[in-house]
Amino acid sequence: MSRSKVLSLSEAMVRVKSGTRLMTGDFVGAAEPAKCLEWLVDNKIGNLTLITCTPGMTGGFGKGHLYANGLVSELISSHVATTNESSEAYLSGALMVRQLYPMGTWAEKVRAGAVGIGGVLIPVGVGILDQPGLFPDLEEPKQKVTVGGKEYFVEEALRAEVSIIKGWRADPLGNVEFRYTSGQNQRDIAMAGDYAIVEVNEIVPVGTIPPDRVGCPGVFIDAVVQGYSLEDQHRRYRDHWIKLGRLQPIAEGATP
Amino acid sequence: MTSPSIAAMSPREIIARRCAQEVKDGEVVNLGFGIPTLTSNYLPKGMSVIFHAENGCFGFGAKPGTLEADSDITNAGTEPITLLPGAAIMDMITSFGAMRNGFIDITVLGALEVDQEGNLANWATKRNGKWWPGPGGAMDLCYGTKKVIAALQHTDKSGDSKVKRRTNLPLTGRRCTKVIVTDKAVFDVLPEGGLLLREALPGLSADDIRAITEADFTVADDFRPMNFDLA
Repeated sequence: MSRSKVLSLSEAMVRVKSGTRLMTGDFVGAAEPAKCLEWLVDNKIGNLTLITCTPGMTGGFGKGHLYANGLVSELISSHVATTNESSEAYLSGALMVRQLYPMGTWAEKVRAGAVGIGGVLIPVGVGILDQPGLFPDLEEPKQKVTVGGKEYFVEEALRAEVSIIKGWRADPLGNVEFRYTSGQNQRDIAMAGDYAIVEVNEIVPVGTIPPDRVGCPGVFIDAVVQGYSLEDQHRRYRDHWIKLGRLQPIAEGATP
Repeated sequence: MTSPSIAAMSPREIIARRCAQEVKDGEVVNLGFGIPTLTSNYLPKGMSVIFHAENGCFGFGAKPGTLEADSDITNAGTEPITLLPGAAIMDMITSFGAMRNGFIDITVLGALEVDQEGNLANWATKRNGKWWPGPGGAMDLCYGTKKVIAALQHTDKSGDSKVKRRTNLPLTGRRCTKVIVTDKAVFDVLPEGGLLLREALPGLSADDIRAITEADFTVADDFRPMNFDLA
């Protein structure tokens, strides 16, 4: 019997230190590892290089607190302003962004890091993102190659020292099941990290998750941590969506 | 059936209603945020399209009620959505692969500027000397979608045309726009470049459009007023 990968939040998160190159799963704040992010803020783990699809959801939610607390020094992403906190950090010069990637390019770079290939050839943005002066912090021009008469960017693989993903439920072997649109590229992110943590709503016994429903095999996971229950997660998002005007406030006396 | 009063419509509503007329039954549709999202409100009754969300879904439906909102069922802008019968979930690699590789029939995208070559700019303006805010999934959409509709107000706050001879902003897509829909006019972008004025807001002539448009254009033989009659 293998040793259980279930760890306390602190036992797992101690891997993230000042200066760590960190990758986190989410899509504009959906399916974020909320408890792990809170731990980073509570423990003031700073100088992070954060590799993430977008900065997160705006208005004081999840990853936004990392920028508000000045914990991220460099962002590798497709966008700087899905949160007002990251936008302010970027515009004030506190948050370094060497270049921005189209979201599909960002995902393919992570996939390359996940599956052990050096990079990918991407046609999106050729003739646009390679314009001189667009990204002044780039040390070298973007590399291009012509294949079959067509020009592509050579986009290098992205990897991280620690990856943190968010699943619905996991077993002690680290097998993860996702719900609906929260699968995203979470498995790729786990595979692209030297150490992979999954935060889940529920930890279940081995054998509970049907093998064909395992979205991220436990082989790719080093630590399983307990996050918010699914019910509490729904409540957190609904409350924030109401705050942002994306949902109507719940009428007095209505039962969830 | 009476035609809705155009005078009573906001520019956003005019644009959204007109964009809806570009969508055909059965198409796979991706709507950008802002005005494009409103387009779904004006699709003809009985029309069946498949809405795509970049984060990994074909076939989503309307926003749920607050207590039905499921935090694991969201669109690309982290808004709660519902899944219609026949919906399909996929991972992000598959979803963006579908976008690059021509599986999306039509997209409506907001634009800062568009020009007479069909170049579309919507991801970057200069703030504090830096380009801001970022492309997100818009470049992937412009690259691979069969029909890109640029949806924007005709002029900016100071009255300057946003339909340019040539935009100097960083592009989202090069020569990707097929149709430009503004609150004043509808243009086709011709395959060889150049604009064809197809429609104008009722009461506006081709010369009126020329007076507020920086781009050059020719006028279609069947140039006509926009028509929002829903009958």
